[in-house]
This record gives sequence, C-alpha cells and structure tokens, in this order.
Amino acid sequence: MVMEIVDILEKILILAGMVTLGFAIGMLFNGIARKVSARIQNRVGPPVYQGFIDVFKLFGKKTNISHGWIFDLAALFSVSGIALAFLFLPVAGYSMLSTDGDLFLILYLLAIPALGFALGAGASGNPNAAVGVMRALMSMLAYELPLVMVMVAMMVYYNTTSLANIVAAQANMQWAFFIPIFFIGALVADMALQGMLMEKPFDIPIAPHEIATGPMVEFGGKHLGALMLYKMMGTVVETTLFVDLFLGGGVVLSVAQYGWLAYLVNFAVWFVLILIVFLIAVMIDNVLPRFRIEQALKFYWKYDALIAIFILIWIFAGVKI
Amino acid sequence: MLTEVLVSLLAGVFLVLALNKYPRVAGVVAFIISLLPFMAVLAWAGTMGITVPSYLKFFTLETSLTYNLGPGVIHLAITPLGWFFLMLLASVFPLTVMFANSFVKRNAGGFYAAMLLTMFGSFGLLLSQDILSFFIFWEIMSWSIFALVLRGHDRRAIVSYLAFGSLSAMLILFGFMMLYYKTNTFLFADMHLTATPLTLAALSLLVAGFAVKGALMPMHAWAPHAYSRSEEPFVAFLSGGLSKLGFFGIILFMYGVVGMSVISSWGTFRGVPWFGYALAVIGAFTAFAGTVLAVMQDDLRKLLAYSSIGQLGYIAIGIGIGTPLAMTGALFQALNHTFFKAVLFLAAGAVFYRTGKWKISELGGLGYKMPFTFLAALFAIFALAAIPITSGFAAKWLLYEAAIQKKFLFVTPIMLIAGVGAFLYAFKILYGVFLGEPRYDVKEAPLSQLIPMWLLVLPLVIFLVIPGWFVDITAPILRGYGMQPIQHTLFSINTGLATYNTLAVIFGMLGGLLVAFILYKWKKQEVVPHIDNYLAGEPPELYEHIGMHASSKYFEPFDEVFGPIFKKGAERGWEIVLSAAEILGTGARKIYTGIVGDYSIYVLLFFIILVGWWLLW
Amino acid sequence: MKHEEWKKISRIMSKRSLWMVHFCTGCGAMEMPPVMTSRYDMERFGIFAMATPRQADVFLVTGYLAVKTLKRVVQVYEQMRDPKYVIGFGSCTINGGMYWDSYNTIKDLSKYIPVDVYIAGCMPRPEAIIDSFLKLMDMIDKGEAIGWQKYRKYYDQYKRNQKMAFEYRLDEVKPIKEDDKNES
Repeated sequence: MVMEIVDILEKILILAGMVTLGFAIGMLFNGIARKVSARIQNRVGPPVYQGFIDVFKLFGKKTNISHGWIFDLAALFSVSGIALAFLFLPVAGYSMLSTDGDLFLILYLLAIPALGFALGAGASGNPNAAVGVMRALMSMLAYELPLVMVMVAMMVYYNTTSLANIVAAQANMQWAFFIPIFFIGALVADMALQGMLMEKPFDIPIAPHEIATGPMVEFGGKHLGALMLYKMMGTVVETTLFVDLFLGGGVVLSVAQYGWLAYLVNFAVWFVLILIVFLIAVMIDNVLPRFRIEQALKFYWKYDALIAIFILIWIFAGVKI
Repeated sequence: MLTEVLVSLLAGVFLVLALNKYPRVAGVVAFIISLLPFMAVLAWAGTMGITVPSYLKFFTLETSLTYNLGPGVIHLAITPLGWFFLMLLASVFPLTVMFANSFVKRNAGGFYAAMLLTMFGSFGLLLSQDILSFFIFWEIMSWSIFALVLRGHDRRAIVSYLAFGSLSAMLILFGFMMLYYKTNTFLFADMHLTATPLTLAALSLLVAGFAVKGALMPMHAWAPHAYSRSEEPFVAFLSGGLSKLGFFGIILFMYGVVGMSVISSWGTFRGVPWFGYALAVIGAFTAFAGTVLAVMQDDLRKLLAYSSIGQLGYIAIGIGIGTPLAMTGALFQALNHTFFKAVLFLAAGAVFYRTGKWKISELGGLGYKMPFTFLAALFAIFALAAIPITSGFAAKWLLYEAAIQKKFLFVTPIMLIAGVGAFLYAFKILYGVFLGEPRYDVKEAPLSQLIPMWLLVLPLVIFLVIPGWFVDITAPILRGYGMQPIQHTLFSINTGLATYNTLAVIFGMLGGLLVAFILYKWKKQEVVPHIDNYLAGEPPELYEHIGMHASSKYFEPFDEVFGPIFKKGAERGWEIVLSAAEILGTGARKIYTGIVGDYSIYVLLFFIILVGWWLLW
Repeated sequence: MKHEEWKKISRIMSKRSLWMVHFCTGCGAMEMPPVMTSRYDMERFGIFAMATPRQADVFLVTGYLAVKTLKRVVQVYEQMRDPKYVIGFGSCTINGGMYWDSYNTIKDLSKYIPVDVYIAGCMPRPEAIIDSFLKLMDMIDKGEAIGWQKYRKYYDQYKRNQKMAFEYRLDEVKPIKEDDKNES
C-alpha cells in the first residue's frame, strides 16, 4: 500500500515536472521566435528569455480586471486544458499518459482550452473578441479537415489510433517522413500546423491591426498571463504532435538498449526537431501577409484537402482488409 | 401487473383531459402517471442483469404478456434492446412533463393527454413482439405526436409532419406486408428470413420508414419545422426520446429480425456489408450536412433541430458499421443525445419563458442573469461538442475507433469535421444567448424548470466517470445479436486500437484546474461591468441605438462559403418530388370527368379486362 | 525570500517588459515607425507595441491634445492596469508647444494624468524616445515611477481638472498640489 502511494506520488511529480518543462520550453520558444523574426527583419531583437519576463510581469500586475466568473473560466480552462493535452502526448518516446488515450482524445483535448478561451472572450462582451472567436473557430474548421485526413490515413496505415503506438512503429529511424506518401502528408500537415499555430498567413483570429488581438482584447494582467502560457504551451503541444506523427517523436536511440543515455539523447533530438518545425512556421510567418477568413477556408478545403484526398485514395487502394 | 401499467397510462390520458380546466392539477397528475414507465424500467432492470436496490422496486412486472383480441394477438415482451430504449424515453419523459407544468399555459390538459398517449404508444412499441402490435403502437405514437405538432399552429410544420409521417407509415406497412407475405407469421421470433431480393426490399423500405422518425437525410425535411414550431417540453421529448425510436426500429429489424448473416450474404465491401456501408455513408452525410445547416441558423430552435439531425447521423453510422464497437458507440451516442439535447431544448424553453425571444441575434448576456440554466446548458454543450469532460466524448470516440477499425478512410474525416463543426454552433449558442452584452434584466428560471435540466445533466456525469458500466448495460443487447461485448474495465475501454482511460483524463483535468486555480487566485481582482468595455466611460445614453452584441450574422463568412451549396438543398429535392406528384395527380384527376357515360365505359373496360384475364389464364 | 526581494525582482521584470500603447494624436506619431523597425529597434529592450490599453504598461501620448482627445486619453489611461506609466512626447504635452495660445488645446498634460517622463523637442528624434524609455526603466528600477500611485492618491484633483477642461474652463485648471512625502 505504501509502495503504491509512493509510486503514484512519483508519477505525479514526474508529470508536474514535465508540464513545467513544457511551459518553460514554450516561453523559451516565444523568445526564440521573436529573436528570429527580428534577425529576419535585420533587427537585434529581444533576448531569448523575453517570454519568461513577459509572463512574470503579467502575473505581477497590481490590478486585475475581470468581467465576472465566466470570464475567469477562460484562464482556468486554457491553462489546465493545454497542460492536459501535453500529458497525453508521447514526448521523445517517453509516454506520460499517452497509453491512456489516443489521437482522437488529443484532438478533443485541444478543444478544451480553445473553448474555454472562447468562453472568456465571449463573456468579456467586447465585439472584437466575438469576431476574433468566430475567426478562430472558422480557421479551426478550415485546417482540421486536411489534418484529420492525413491523421486518418496514418491511423489506417499503422492500424492503431494510439499516438504512442504510432511513435513505437516508427522506431529505428523508420520515420513516416521518409515514406514518400507520408512525406506529402507531412507537407499537408505542416500547412495545417501553420493555421494551428496561428502564424501568418493564418493569423486571422489574432489580427492585431484589424480587430485588436481579437479574443484577447479585454484580457490583461494575470488573465493575459494565463492566456500567454496557453499559447506558448500550445506551440510545444502542436509541434510535438507533428513530430510524433511524422518524425518518430524524435526517438533515435532505444531506451531498452541504452538506458538513461537514450532518454537524454532523445529529449535533445525532440527539442531540436520541434524547434525546427516551429522555426519553419515562424519563417513563413515573416514573409507572408494575412489571408481573409474565407480565403483561408478555401485554401485549406480546396488545395490542402485535395492533396490529402490523394493520400487517402493511395492508402485506400493499398491497404489490405 | 403489466396490464395495469398500460391501462393506467391510458386512463391517465382521459384523466388529464377531464382536468383540462385545472392546468396545475393536470400537470401534477400527469407527472405522477408519467413516472410509471420509469418504475417499469426499474422493475425490469433485474432481468437485464442490473441490480436495483429493493426500495426502488415499486412493483414486479411479468417479462412477457399476450392479449388475444379476437382477430389478432398482441405479443408483448421485454427485450434488452427494448429495455434500453425504454430507459432513455422513460427517464426523459417525466422531466419534460415536470418542465411543462410552468411552461405550457394554453389547453394544458390536451397537451398532457397527447404526451401521455405518445408515451403509451412508445411503451407498447418497445415491448411489442409481432408486426401487428408494432404497427398499431407505432401509429398511436405517430398520431399523438401529430396532435402535439398541431398545437404549434404552423402550417409548414403540420403539413410536412403529416406528409412524412404518412410516408413513414406507408413504407413501414409495405415492409411489413412483404415480411408477412414471405414468412406467413406476425411474430418476430418465427420469422426465419433468408437472403432474397424481397427481404432486401422489405428491409430497405423499413429502414427508410424508420429513418423518417430518426431524421436521417433525405427523410429529415419535416424535422426542422416540427422541432422549431412546437412547445419546448414536447420538443425535448421528441428530439431526446422519440427520435430514438427510429433507430430502435432500424436495429430491431436489421440485426434482430433479418440478422447480420443475411445482410452480409448480400455482399460486403471492404469487410462491411453493403447495406450497412450505405447506411453509414448516409449517416455521415447527415452528420455533416446537419452540422453545416445548424451553423447557419439564427432561430435557436432551428439551430438545435439541425444539430439534432446531425447528432442522430452518428447513430446511423454506428448501426451501419455494425461491429460490437460501433453498436456500443451508437447506443452510447443515443443515450448522450437523449440527455444533452433534452437539456438544451429545455434550456431554450427556459430562456424563452423568461425573455420571450427565440432569435439568437435578439438574445444575449443571460449567463449572469440565469447562471444555473447557463451551467446546465454549458454542460450539455460540452457533451454535444464531445469535450472529454463529459460522457459525450466516449460515444464519439467509440464510433471513430469503429470506423478506423473497419478502415473507413473517407467517412472518418467527415465524422471528425462534423465534430469540429459542432464547436461552431455550440459557441454560437453560448455566445449569442448566454454571453456578451446583457440585454435583459430577467430572473433565473423557476425551480420546476431547473430541476429537470439538472437531473438530465446527471447521466452525462455518471457515464463520463464509468463508461465501463454503460458497456455492461448494453452487453445483453450485443449478445442477443451474436456479438461479443467490447473489452473494458469500469473506468477504461480498450478497443484493440487504443485505450481510453477516463480516470487519467479526470484526474489530469482536476490537477490542472487546481494548479491553474492556485496560480489564478494568487492575485486579487476587481470586477468591472460590461458597459465599461463598450463605451470606455462615455455616457451610455449616447450609444443606446448601437447594438454591441456581435451575434447577428455571426458566422457570415461561413454562410458565404457553404450557403450556396447547402441551404435548402434537401428541401428543394423534395419540392421537385412534390411538383412531380402534383403533375401526376392532375393527370390522374382528369379521369374523373363527372360524366356518367365515361364512368360506364370505365366499368365496361374493367369487366372486359377481367373476363379477358380469366379467359387467357 | 523576503518581500523586498520579491519586489525587486518584480521591478526588474516589469522594466524589461514594457508593453506600450501609443496614442497617435499629433504629428509625433510619425517618429514611432523608425523606433519600432530595423533602424532603432526598440524591441531589443523588451518594448512592444500592444493593440489595446488592457494589455499595456506604458502609455505614450504623442503630441498635442485637444479637449476632445483628452477625453479619450483619460479613458484609455483608466482602462490600463496598474502599474502603468505615461510618457509625454514632444513639447505639446509639456506646455502646448506651438499650440500654446490655442483655445481648445490643453497645455500641460501632467495636470490631467500623471506623467512619469517627458520628452522635449518638436519633434524628438528616435534616439530621444529610446533614451526616455531607458530613463523610465531606470526610474522603475529605483521605484521612482509612481505616477499611477499619484493618480489614485490625488484622484479628486485630477478629476476636477479634467472636468474643468471638458467644460472648456481651461483657465481654472490648477496644478496638482502634492503632499510632502510620497510613498514608493
């Protein structure tokens, strides 16, 4: 009995540590993205730890203005929901809770913070926030179609819906990225990732110059701090999802063979891979203008989804029943 | 005792009719009588392998009963499938009657009488074991629904329900006639059908007939009108409970009467029978189109009606795929839909009761005024959008898993994208009705409306925590059709493709909420009224004419993209059928000239043909 | 850690992350684009332009203020969260600048909202703007940028002055009378 409790406590500690690590990486990524954008624009840019400073400052603000308890739900749901989604992802082949859920669960867990956030934005009563949420939901509808098509193709190909199993199937460097059909799939999913990360040309929901940062317009102080945490962690979760699907989760050494060294190397590779995936998105962000929402919908449903349908047909013809 | 239950249900109809002058008394009487089916469910629970504490068993009921009515014999018996659907209907029914107590003002006795008669029909229908009694009870149920639709005083709703109700009855009757012609028996148990074209035709007709009640496309055209123009307590029961009877019929005849082996012997496609595959594709199309149409609606009831159509499509997908996983998913979805859609319709009713408005663009800001209604609706919306903090997720998840298991490469993305579409209209309800600019200074809904809503939320929580129990409940149904129940423990389900452990999700979410709460409560905050956002301190009188609530034409870009494709698509199709029927009808009308000489020629021609037939044969 | 040390860290954090909302009334707004972009790049100090006052820490009033614009300035200032800082940009905010004798232009911004740092000049160069931000950071570090506390403390006087201005009784506007000691 005592051993069991110790085990559970150990597990909880590890999970808490991983979530903290996730948030830390998210904040670091925010700084890196700003630094890289600055370098692309021939500027010096802020220090890479700017994300930490911003979040800390926001939580340190003296007055915090709320618009009632529904408004407060946004901060609670967004932080806890995104942390939960992170727990269900295999990170560098290390499975936290990912054997207790699967890809569908992750897709729907990602909706918890988004809906919570939308709830808060709606409760703020600012018309800009409502328009921003509408755009966010529409762009979600837009990018999810090609994304789920590629995901379904992968699930059928690997005959599992569990992300942990998909990562395990890609062990020994047999990454889906190197299979020609899923190389195309990775490109399709990367387009969807651009929308998921809300980078240009799909930063329609935020659009600071049109609708004053959309859903975040009434948030400030600790509320905005919580939302920043959500957005920063979101980049980690979404890039990790991509890396898990196509790049084998960053697993290069098998744990059974190399022990703790494998964990170390895998985590390093995972970090580099999500950084690369993220930086590609940031670089695209820096050279493109913004779509209108119906243009984004048409882009995803016409071109991106068309390629995804090709992948589906390929798998449809190739898979034995 | 079963006879007494049936008779008292029927007697209740006349009792509440007699009490028409005292609506409150009629309401209480109707509520007491409406508890009878639920007591029956509890009494039968033991035979389904569910232990019920003795203080919840009010009487014992025989499991089967036969009435000999001279020309026909009525066979009633409780089956696992019938019990499951009876449970759904009987749990929603008393609560909607309770809600009606404060909601229905006009001719309340008639309302309760029709409601009780509907329940009487459904009760008999779910127990009937032969096609004769099935049809009789089906018609009782159908016509009492018509009586309730009539109360809406909307011509379009009445005419479309009448047309589709009759169409459904005709299709079912023809199906039954074919079955009887083939087997020469009324009893389901004695029908040993073989894989012949006639069976296929009969089954297709039956499924098409039941699809009307289940609002599957293209047989859904009546539903948006009837759902949106009737009284809310009845619509909650219609959408939550009665629409499931269509799926009860489909499951009963597809898997119970005809059987999986016969369906499979008509040919399979990628490991799934053609028949089921077609049903699944229709279901997926319904799920998607219903969702898209729901996003475009401005009328709260119409939005909920289309959302109902979309959600029912998922059940058809599950029935079509027909694996144990899919069947469990379909039944789970039926259960979830029963409860969350009833809550949503009742919440819409409560909002109407307080504000007198149905249009989403005219509502707004009720979340702070009616917090309990809002929370119940929020929870139902979470279940509708399949957010994993309600039981709504488990059902959709089972269906997705079943589709992936059978390698449905094109249906699965449609299901998933329909699920995303559900977020869109879910937020439209949330924002348009409950969030944003406070426009009405109203009180919370009365207790007699809040209690039903919150009781209906309860199952969504229970089956979130223990989905394994649901699999246990449905296990007898699956075993009856020769399927093995899926692998599960109380808190987790294993499909062979993946595992879903609710404890991990719940404790993860609770832990996350705790941490977020601590992080959040660290700093104090002050609450600022909404008017401060809109006007930034300007005097409010200056801005009275400006609407600050951005909810009219909320998804305008969406309408621009999907509107031309989807709006009125199905209805236009039916209008073509209608005009064709009109042309045929006017053509046939010309035979009746009104001249006696013509009629005598017809009679003569008829006799010549008859005699000629007789001579030639 | 002690309360004082927390406060110190918090000050360092808030000085390195100044989110700014700039109120482009006058010609001074012209000087902002060079400050933000490649040539002078203020983001290297953690200064970032924000879209709404709710998110911002620094309020940059760029140029002259008519009475009508003052109304909006006050609204924006009151929507910001504490701690908040104001930078008066250009001569117009100090003494009315070239509008010194205008009938509907306010002369001294600090009579209506507390200003932490002024930038003199018509107009100031981008170097001067960045210098003012550095000065503000220095003040935050030392705990001298207490304009937002002053606004709470002398709220009646500020409100009175604003009311006078809104009613075009500009000659009745008085300087803010301060007590001898200000808490930091």
